[in-house]
Amino acid sequence: MKLDKSSHIYGLIQSAMRLRTLLSAFIVFWLGTLSAQGYTSPDYMRSIGKIYVVAGVCLIILVTLLTYMVILDRKISRLEKRQKNE
Amino acid sequence: MQQTDGKTSSSLAAWKWACIAILIYVFVAGWIVPLNPGIIQVSPSKAVAGTQVNLKVEGYNSAYKSAGGEIRAWLRLSGDTVLQATQVEVIDDRNLNATFYIPSVFPLRQDAYPLALVIDHDQEGTSVLPNSIFITPASTPDSAEMHLWTTNKIAHVHKKAGIQFPFRNILAETIRNTYFHVPMWFTMIILFGVSAWYSLRYYRQGDLTDDSRSIAYVRVGLLFGLLGIVTGMLWAKNTWNAYWSWDVKQNMSAIALLIYAALMVMRSSVEDDMQKARLTAGYNMFAFVLLIPLLFIVPRMTDSLHPGNGGNPAFGGEDLDNTMRMVFYPAVIGFILLGLWISQLVFRFEQVKRHA
Repeated sequence: MKLDKSSHIYGLIQSAMRLRTLLSAFIVFWLGTLSAQGYTSPDYMRSIGKIYVVAGVCLIILVTLLTYMVILDRKISRLEKRQKNE
Repeated sequence: MQQTDGKTSSSLAAWKWACIAILIYVFVAGWIVPLNPGIIQVSPSKAVAGTQVNLKVEGYNSAYKSAGGEIRAWLRLSGDTVLQATQVEVIDDRNLNATFYIPSVFPLRQDAYPLALVIDHDQEGTSVLPNSIFITPASTPDSAEMHLWTTNKIAHVHKKAGIQFPFRNILAETIRNTYFHVPMWFTMIILFGVSAWYSLRYYRQGDLTDDSRSIAYVRVGLLFGLLGIVTGMLWAKNTWNAYWSWDVKQNMSAIALLIYAALMVMRSSVEDDMQKARLTAGYNMFAFVLLIPLLFIVPRMTDSLHPGNGGNPAFGGEDLDNTMRMVFYPAVIGFILLGLWISQLVFRFEQVKRHA
């Protein structure tokens, strides 16, 4: 069976999520987590010696760096595609 | 720049593997090493001198009951001047009651006397809560009670066996942020420094490759600086009760980031490549020089809420003990390598794009 790129899962992700969608989704998620922490009781974040703050910090670092890598990867893929077409 | 030809898989450089291994170690060790037992809170927080006080003590990570053994408690006035508890009653692992008779006279004269609570357990080690109770002076001091204050009572204190991170009042578990939040700033400074170096090289040699190198490092440095600010804000919300409290450290790091953000804006507004590169190089070196007063001098000159502040925060005091160094130094190295790695990818991408 020939692999159709548009039906392939990677192709689907590529076509569905343009860079801007990805960015805005990320920002919405980001603000969501930030405000959620503001509205949920601070007792939760401060329980068990504020360990959830450490968890949040690790999560922010990982999510941001991974998002950056995803964006970079997409830029490179686009460049490769353009080079192939030339 | 590494040259890879077509389909053959190129192997990853050793330092990149080292970066991965170090960061895995940091995330594992930074999370699984437990904290030393500590004291979270004490009630009541106020008492009058010359009365008996029954202190309810809430411990953290403590095993007062299950560890068994002898527990001693003191209230410390200053230095070695202490008052020993007349009775210590263990309720469970996390709670105990300590009874003190507060003498009506004090060896030194103040309006109020903040006392630190010291608890020593023969297996759990010693824990301290500064300013745990405030004593107001008695109306009729009785100088005969002066002998209750002693200077040689805290002896033979114990240390818990095994590896723990120190328990610091207020910080508690967030002392682990030393391995995640602090290396962001170290990485940012190193990346901006490398960038300034390439700017200098561009100034001397006029090679546009150096310009794209320096701008790749600025971009990733900004990313790490932003991470430093945001992780700091999350911590501040749960410690200082506000994401932004206009603390000198917050302000100065925000200014530093804005200076570099302005560099990116300025760069995009210039059309000509050579002119863009020249302007960037000059601005970039200037910006790096500005980082030194903004991040290292001004915050040391005023009071800051930030942990490690007051005096010289560099690697000092009880905020960073030898156990923490075993994780902190690898964390700094690991995140710096990661920053260099990402910058290198950005640079390589820009090169390919330019020559495509």
